Amino acid sequence: MAEARTAGDVSAARERLAQAQAGLLAALVADGPVPDGFDAERLAVQRRALIGKRADVVAKVAPELPEILGEKAFRSAFVTYARGRPMAGGYRRDALDFARHLLTEGGMPDRRTRRKVRRWWLERSGPAPLPQGRLRRLLHLLRAG
Amino acid sequence: MEGTDTTTATATATDTRVRLGTGIGWRPEIADGIEALPGIDWVEVVAENVCPGHLPDALLRLRERGTTVVPHGVSLGLGGAERPDEERLSGLAERAEALRAPLVTEHIAFVRGGGAPTGTPHMEAGHLLPVPRTRDALDVLCENVRIAQDALPVPLALENIAALVNWPDEELSEGRFLAELVERTGVQLLIDVANLHTNHVNRGEDPATALDELPLDALAYVHVAGGFERDGVWHDSHGHPVTQPVLDVLAQLCARTAPPGVLLERDENFPPVAELAGELETIRAVLARGSAPAAVPHG
Repeated sequence: MAEARTAGDVSAARERLAQAQAGLLAALVADGPVPDGFDAERLAVQRRALIGKRADVVAKVAPELPEILGEKAFRSAFVTYARGRPMAGGYRRDALDFARHLLTEGGMPDRRTRRKVRRWWLERSGPAPLPQGRLRRLLHLLRAG
Repeated sequence: MEGTDTTTATATATDTRVRLGTGIGWRPEIADGIEALPGIDWVEVVAENVCPGHLPDALLRLRERGTTVVPHGVSLGLGGAERPDEERLSGLAERAEALRAPLVTEHIAFVRGGGAPTGTPHMEAGHLLPVPRTRDALDVLCENVRIAQDALPVPLALENIAALVNWPDEELSEGRFLAELVERTGVQLLIDVANLHTNHVNRGEDPATALDELPLDALAYVHVAGGFERDGVWHDSHGHPVTQPVLDVLAQLCARTAPPGVLLERDENFPPVAELAGELETIRAVLARGSAPAAVPHG
């Protein structure tokens, strides 16, 4: 009963589907406009659910961040960061980008928290792991900062 | 390519589906508890969370004592506009082999999009998003499923997902969409009864209608999971107890067919393992009550 389509038909279907899915995705993860025919309220619910899920996974791959910031502050800062910023390259990258966003955009309650986030980010964002040994580590962090 | 061979094979082949029994989603957080639970016939493991060369010891111990392990993929995005990524497919195939799995499962969903063909940046959803139930999407999905089947060493079963959003201008019901997918590809189905309930609350789609339209001969196994309702929207959280409406959908399914397997999913907010054991007991009771002979008419 399924009507047979040629390979060319399927490739045209792929193009149409790609446009439709990109439109929905942009609305959900990149602050794009609500595509025609969609319920804006439902999209907002889905958008929040996606960010919540993303925050859950980031908290799993980088448990130090909710520990440093506190669970509630972590969530609210992550929502601010993630809105309109699609994930670029996996959750570890996302965690690093989030920490960098915190450092550049501010929004942390005190210098101690800021220092901890900065250290966390420096320890992970370089091309190589931090040098071993307390003195070499300290010198590296001073130079990087 | 759309030969009659796959179509007739689905309709007439003798039932080669694996009898899985009762299982639970294996997660590292509850690995010890699962090992201690009696009556666990099989487990499902999120494919992307295991490395074929370094399988967790607790999982290996389960497998050695005869527990079947099924890899469940979440990142292929077979419902996406692009062809499935070869590397992801071979990764899933490797896991199936490493786990000596009788089948692998994935979702009817798209998880990424954008990029060169659309003139927008590449975007990852980070979760499963619904495919529009249109002819276009079905044609693309069927081709993607065939590509996946060719790359996998064991049969593939696909799961219906829970949706929060509705696509406008859909052309097929969920049941019809799945029925045609099975007919054209011979793919098996993993029916998530919590997702049918979700689509009932969120999209007004009656689970009984979907179950009536589904080709239940292709059913590989059933997922059961908990969630919660807030402001008229069902959230399929996998972090809350299984509720009665979800068990009711399971009972409706069991009245139509005896599922070869059933699996409890819990991904968050893990309770003591005794609570999960209790949920499994409840699920077994629904199965025992509902396993009417398949020949009994319904509806």
